[in-house]
Amino acid sequence: MSLGRVLRTGTVAVLALLWLVPTWLLVVNALVPAESYSGSPHWLPTEFGLFDNMSQAWDKANLGPAFGNSLLYSVVSALAAAVLAAGAAFATIIMPVKHRALWFWVIYSGTLLPLQVFIRPLFLSYAESSLYDTQFGLLLIYTAIAIPFAFFVMRNYALTLPKEVVEAARLDGASWWRLFWQIHVPLTRSAMVAVFVFQFVAVWNDLMFGITLTTSRNIRPVMAALADLQGNYSNVGPPVVLAGALLVSLPTLVLFFSAQRFFISSLKIHR
Amino acid sequence: MSTSTTDRPATGGSRRTPPVGGDPRPAERHAWIGRRERLTAGGFMAPSVLLVAVFLLAPFVWTIHRSFFADTRTSPFSWFDNYTRFASDPALTRSIQNTLLWVVGTVVLPFVLGLAIACMTDATRFSRLARLCVVLPYALSGSAVAVVWNFMLTTDGAVNQVLTSVGLDSFAQGWLLTWPGNTLVMILANAWQATGVAVILFLVGLQSIPPETLEAGSLDGAGSWQQFRHIVLPQLKPVSIIVIGMSLVNGLKSFDLIWVLTQGGPGRATETLAVSMYNETFLELRPGAGAAIAVVLTVIVLAASWLYLRRQLDVKGE
Repeated sequence: MSLGRVLRTGTVAVLALLWLVPTWLLVVNALVPAESYSGSPHWLPTEFGLFDNMSQAWDKANLGPAFGNSLLYSVVSALAAAVLAAGAAFATIIMPVKHRALWFWVIYSGTLLPLQVFIRPLFLSYAESSLYDTQFGLLLIYTAIAIPFAFFVMRNYALTLPKEVVEAARLDGASWWRLFWQIHVPLTRSAMVAVFVFQFVAVWNDLMFGITLTTSRNIRPVMAALADLQGNYSNVGPPVVLAGALLVSLPTLVLFFSAQRFFISSLKIHR
Repeated sequence: MSTSTTDRPATGGSRRTPPVGGDPRPAERHAWIGRRERLTAGGFMAPSVLLVAVFLLAPFVWTIHRSFFADTRTSPFSWFDNYTRFASDPALTRSIQNTLLWVVGTVVLPFVLGLAIACMTDATRFSRLARLCVVLPYALSGSAVAVVWNFMLTTDGAVNQVLTSVGLDSFAQGWLLTWPGNTLVMILANAWQATGVAVILFLVGLQSIPPETLEAGSLDGAGSWQQFRHIVLPQLKPVSIIVIGMSLVNGLKSFDLIWVLTQGGPGRATETLAVSMYNETFLELRPGAGAAIAVVLTVIVLAASWLYLRRQLDVKGE
């Protein structure tokens, strides 16, 4: 082994270890039973109190309803965004539409703006229209916020499809509606899965809309509940908070590692 | 394209469909089918356009409008007063300093570390394990990262524990309490999470370099550093621009981590523009000032996005 190679391996090992430390501490200290936490971090697992801690976090932060809500928001919004964006991409790329650039920018511009620019007008109009603190209100904004990027991905994918397929089907007399569901959607299925995975994670991880547009514990999403739990750090104790953080991360962790391929393919497109 | 479809009757439009064998007014019929097609296309686009327009673009315009009105009870038109507060309000000056620190930190750290890790690892099991350690935090949310790092950084947290146990008591401190240290440690926490995605992107970029190029380089006697400098780096340029642009925009937008860790405190010392906007609007109850911050943030984000978007967009759809 050359000196260069030793140096390289050493650097990689040190970096990997540094990176692993917080993850390791997260897991180990989430395992420590809350009662026996001594006030300073543990470095090695001794007892197993993970499920106890998780259930304490579940009760204290009302994670149960929050979990259900986030699941609802993530699945429905990501699915709606994928389908609606696929429709918009179909119209702007496959169908003979004028002003394609205009429609592109109208839809796409939403992803360029920071969330801060939407939040107060939404808050006020939600309060006015009784969408505030409702599941439907959150579903609407999560879908709207997911559409621009979903549209961008679906459109880029639609650009790569051969036009002959559609033209042949049109000559055979298929309606646009049938064309969309029976040809376009099956052809773009892999891009739709990528979009779904990506937007599921984005909605699941959202904090800002969760803390601004909801107040009640049975409406708010899971990250707002976690922030609340973190606010009670000294009361409930570190193991419970860490167990809570681990618990709310499980769905995205599982999704990330089981759908890595789709993640990477949507990353390649940008963002 | 619409003209190629005239051989069949327009679906559902039998009233206007001419009898088989002759079309007395072909021009009118074409125009009619064209209109129908545009209507159908509109139907496909309408949900997306409406949702984006109502929930994103209209609030955006509203915020711009609001930023020109004062925060007194009658909120009169106040020209650029909300914007000039950036010069006079020390909390906002600090917020801009922090935002600049975040931008530099979130661009440089994930870029350098991500590039290093992607280039120094290969296909061996050790390398893959090392990469997994770095990519893993990317699957956590900003809020969960904040919980983990709060555990690391509180007064009786893991960092101080390590420092004390190796005899460096004097370095143990309240990491989140004094500026600029608190902003810097949060930037490190962010890098801990964000490097993973840079690694993934650089790996994708490395795979697209044809192996022949590298072979040719080594036949010509290029050392591994020369190969990296003159062959790999230039080929990674498109990916680098994506990584930089993405980190830049994410750094500017970062809210969750700061909000859960410090809520911008103590005493508004760790606010970035994204957090300041929220504090001014919802805690200090100065929506005009908050709107002005949001607009400034938008301008910066748009400028940053333009850097990397202009080479990726092909808007015409051809």
